Amino acid sequence: MSYIVPIGPYHPALEEPIHAKLYTEGEVIKDAEVFVGYNHRGIEKLATERNAIQTLVLVERVCGICSHSHAFTYAMCVETINGLEVPKRGEYIRVITAELERLHSHFLWLGIACHIIGHDSLFMHIWDERELVMDLLEKMTGNRVNYAMVTVGGARRDISDELRKEILSAGDKLKSVLDRIAEIATTDKTIALRTKGVGVLTREDALRMGAVGPHARASGVDIDVRRDAPYSSYGDFKFKVPVVDSGDVYARVLVRVLECYESIEIIRQALEMLPEGPINLGNKLPKIKEGQAVCRHEAPRGQLSHMVVGDGGFNNHRVSIHVPSYKNTPTVPHMLRGNTVADAGLIIASIDPCFSCLDR
Amino acid sequence: MQEYKRTDIGKEQILPLAERMRREGRQLVMIHGFINGEGQLDISYDYAVDPAIESYHVVGETTLPSIGDIYDTAATWPERELNELFAVEFEGLDTSKRLFLPEDMLETQGKGQIMVMPLKELVEKNLGGDVK
Repeated sequence: MSYIVPIGPYHPALEEPIHAKLYTEGEVIKDAEVFVGYNHRGIEKLATERNAIQTLVLVERVCGICSHSHAFTYAMCVETINGLEVPKRGEYIRVITAELERLHSHFLWLGIACHIIGHDSLFMHIWDERELVMDLLEKMTGNRVNYAMVTVGGARRDISDELRKEILSAGDKLKSVLDRIAEIATTDKTIALRTKGVGVLTREDALRMGAVGPHARASGVDIDVRRDAPYSSYGDFKFKVPVVDSGDVYARVLVRVLECYESIEIIRQALEMLPEGPINLGNKLPKIKEGQAVCRHEAPRGQLSHMVVGDGGFNNHRVSIHVPSYKNTPTVPHMLRGNTVADAGLIIASIDPCFSCLDR
Repeated sequence: MQEYKRTDIGKEQILPLAERMRREGRQLVMIHGFINGEGQLDISYDYAVDPAIESYHVVGETTLPSIGDIYDTAATWPERELNELFAVEFEGLDTSKRLFLPEDMLETQGKGQIMVMPLKELVEKNLGGDVK
């Protein structure tokens, strides 16, 4: 018996608006299609009518999880067009915020993955620990989401010496928390049964379809913008890029857990080496010179790219935003093939999707 | 600040360039498009040649070859998006479905106006002139 099973755009197993059509043969998915575009807000178009500071506020609203990444990347674009050199301390603060954001994003995804698997106690445990990171972000920036830490030419808020010590000691606590989570995730039978061998994406397919971020690294593709094209102050820190070869959902869990350790390491180095000096270049409204720039940033989900075209005045001529889910979503139908309907929700969620970002 | 190199190419160079980049294992970051100051369409193929981005621009063309055979969905999704939002067609690209716009806007295929018209004009046309 063959059926077409529709999932979404509103469905209990999905947190995001995506519509997936599964062509099934009994329990097995023979083919699948995904449809996006349910949350198109016209942000790119709106950005053409705004100046650089207004656009920072606007692009932060593209995504609720990786809001800092968008502001960070947009600011880098404007700085590249204008040839601005950002003060070292400002760059370090940006990186610290970006890495804290990665931590909370990965904790969030790990929790959701556990929830879909049915391991609700680990889901609650992870989300409880995630509050630790959220509290740090709130203390540092004043907000739980949409941190507003970036301005063109630097950071908007400084890190006090007290806060610096507090984040450093919280890093040690987070490491022990992660040890516990990693131990459960790698030894628990339920998680292994639901994730090992499920939703496999081979290395060749990942390369061909241009998968990015932890999703690609779980398929054995060794890419990371932070290491391959060091921007901001990432060149100053030593960190490893975890790569796992098996390409299934289990590998994606492993990669993200291992990445959390590296993020804590980067935050520790940044705080210990935090240079003295100004955090930004002042509060003047910047003109955007005539010209064009494309900047990349390794957001929690993978490579994020912004293109900005300036017209010589205060406003943007064009802003184009492409999020990691843009590259990873087309791999979903490929991963679904040959799996059972029961695993569909988990496989779709395994790319850490952000379809609202994708639609912009 | 990140490195960004701009090169202008003709449309006949798009396919050989994509083949060379694919052979070298370069990643296609994105295909971007915008209307430049002279009102011409500027499509750029941005490749990651670490640590820089090499950007190859094709200016003033409305029909381009699709590189979907070489880069698969990494190229076809941006091409479909550009096809919807700008007046540009890609030869060999399957455009029977919509990526972002509603399915009932299929008749505007390859004549997209969304990113071409100024916001004010777009609002006036679709909502009547009575908008502040």
